[in-house]
Amino acid sequence: MYSIIVVPPPTTEDERSRTQLRLAPGERLVFGRSVPAGGLLIEHDGVSRRAGEITAHGTFWALSNLSGHQTYVVENPEGAGEHIKVAPGRLEAPVPFEFSRIVLPAAGDLLPVEVWAPRHDYLRAEDGADGEPTAPAFSVDRTKRYFAVLAALCEPRLRGAPHAPLPTMDQVVERLRPTWPAASRTSVQWNIDYLAVKLRLKPGPETAEPGPRLNGKKESLVSLALRFDLVREDDLVILTEPSGQAHR
Amino acid sequence: MSEPYAVPVPKGYRVGVWEVREPIATGAFGSVYAARRTGDGGGQLPRTAALKFLPTGTDTPRQLAHLRELIEREVELLRRLKRPRLIRMYETLTVDDPADPRLDGATVLVLEKAEGSLSARLAAEPRPPAGPALLAQVCAGLAQLHRAGWVHGDLKPANVLLMADGSVRLADFNMAAELEGTHAYTPAFSTPDYTPPELLWSEIGERGRRIRPSADVWAFGVLAHLVLTGSFPLPGATPATRRDAAAAYARGTDELRLSPELPDAWRDIVRSCLTRTHADRIGTEALLRRVEAATGGADGAGGGTGRLPLLRRPFARGGHRTGGRRTVLAASAATVVVAGLGYGITTWAGDRSDPGGADGRGGAVPAASYGAEELRTDRGVPAAYRLLIVETAHDCERPEVSPPLIAAMLRVESDFDPNLSDPAKDEYGIARWTPSVLRWWMNADGTPGETVPEPPFPPAESIPAMGRYLCWITPRLDAGLPGDRRVLIAVSYRTSYARVNDAAGVPPKYRDYADRVAHYLKKYTPPGRK
Repeated sequence: MYSIIVVPPPTTEDERSRTQLRLAPGERLVFGRSVPAGGLLIEHDGVSRRAGEITAHGTFWALSNLSGHQTYVVENPEGAGEHIKVAPGRLEAPVPFEFSRIVLPAAGDLLPVEVWAPRHDYLRAEDGADGEPTAPAFSVDRTKRYFAVLAALCEPRLRGAPHAPLPTMDQVVERLRPTWPAASRTSVQWNIDYLAVKLRLKPGPETAEPGPRLNGKKESLVSLALRFDLVREDDLVILTEPSGQAHR
Repeated sequence: MSEPYAVPVPKGYRVGVWEVREPIATGAFGSVYAARRTGDGGGQLPRTAALKFLPTGTDTPRQLAHLRELIEREVELLRRLKRPRLIRMYETLTVDDPADPRLDGATVLVLEKAEGSLSARLAAEPRPPAGPALLAQVCAGLAQLHRAGWVHGDLKPANVLLMADGSVRLADFNMAAELEGTHAYTPAFSTPDYTPPELLWSEIGERGRRIRPSADVWAFGVLAHLVLTGSFPLPGATPATRRDAAAAYARGTDELRLSPELPDAWRDIVRSCLTRTHADRIGTEALLRRVEAATGGADGAGGGTGRLPLLRRPFARGGHRTGGRRTVLAASAATVVVAGLGYGITTWAGDRSDPGGADGRGGAVPAASYGAEELRTDRGVPAAYRLLIVETAHDCERPEVSPPLIAAMLRVESDFDPNLSDPAKDEYGIARWTPSVLRWWMNADGTPGETVPEPPFPPAESIPAMGRYLCWITPRLDAGLPGDRRVLIAVSYRTSYARVNDAAGVPPKYRDYADRVAHYLKKYTPPGRK
């Protein structure tokens, strides 16, 4: 029932396998150099003992800046410089981004803590008028990178070949490059992993083991997306035109 | 109404014998119009009806795969179920009107015409005096639906219709799903205020979201609180904050604080619907009895009293749910017997007899000959496992997943050795489970384990998990593969169904395994059986 995911700053030992902390609405996560058990320990001398606190809500989260004199910046990595500042002592500042990076200034270093809010809600055209709308269980932001990745994965099948093989990772990167010049295998893979989290894909036994079995995940994502019309043929234009958002 | 209609139909438009009159409502998936009959109805059709237009035409902009599926669900349910408290469907029509591409091809459901919805009634008059009587009928409708083996999936005031005589009908079955065992699969839609906490942000598989009848019971609790007090049971000014409150309540960080305006007789009822977990929730039949007791049996027509409270279950399965990883063999086996004997299967969750008191001899049939007509008794299948093997096979509705197949696989995998431990291959127990794979099959309700389990894996855990996995594999094997399908299922267990499909049969590496399974399959199958 988690709704917010916190990805701690990379440390040299586990650069590859960054842990993800999942928070349910109402849960709090304190971070800093010396935090009680259950908190997020950031071992860096430049970070306050209790540096801050993340409070999870359903669709958004709030940041409390517990440090004495440092301002924290929360960036939207896909937002072309969009950011908010949280001054020292400010409590429970709501953060509206789906992806956020809290940048902690620490004695010359900048430590990124990533926070994802995958439960954002979006309007659907089909919503009716009588009483409360019946909402789809997932909604996607069509301006986000993950949507472009999903569209590229679905493209062959949407173009009328229902059993077409899925594009390979390199083909996806190639396809996205005109609108996303910095696309790489790693960033595409990151977005695929995020989509699996966001769409709450039930991992099948084929994907029980991490590693080479990515195809199962891609295949499940595409079949889910097509089944529930998360990507439609009209959406494929985003592969050729920038989606209105500026680039990093 | 300022909202645009999903399917605009001009007044006076003719479909079949019906002439469209004024619009009634529009929803996410279609629009409803009043209509009057123009010809004679052959004695079958009423003078007025509600026509629900669903955009299924080839030229409609909303020609969407999932819409079609939602519509098919509703038509399927209404065709098959005629119950006093469910909206009645008289016929379905397809618009044939090439001149109007928006309407051409639309599906039209001809439904009983209601006076209005409970949603409109509550807007005009919160806390209606007839509330308890209305709720008793809603509950009777739910019971009729659940007995027939369906889950509504989207119970809320807008989907409760009020007829001219004051009676209630449940409607809008786009999310309804037929139970498959303890679960049904519904499209991934829901109304947040009526969604039980376990389904908030729940995992979604390729078939949609898994729900249980207890989801409707939660929704009924919310609805009852709203009708009787004018407020939602969980605090918050918006659906999003109430959803957060539901999540906090389910995690145990907050208590349920029902409105003081809730009448005492209803307080316990609402509380028994709004439990933190689905397992603690009251069963539909028990709920109906309590609601009837609270209202003095207010539901006149088609009531539920005096009927045998037996939920129809298409497939007997799930008897050992909540068995948990730590359940010892004896306890688990005993519950399986209860399922096998077909006890009154109303409320699995909650009032199952205390497993601690079970001693593994749950029935009169001695273990050594349990299921003798399906699994030979003279070929060395250990008596201790017969019950588990036979009942595990029965839990799966696929005929291929039979007792001899499970027994043959256990023979080949481990020679029935419950203590097998093969760290080199990372396989353990009688079914040679790999821990990271067992995780996805260890729980009877289909949820993955919180963490990767650690061996030992006792047979009471290994064998039912194996059955669940085999049952999942079976429909995924391509049709028309050569060879015995049961053997292909066994090989898929060893490798994966995808490899078997790719190889269009048994991959060479697994031929020996397949031959051995086939050998024991034949050996364990009683004569005269396939």
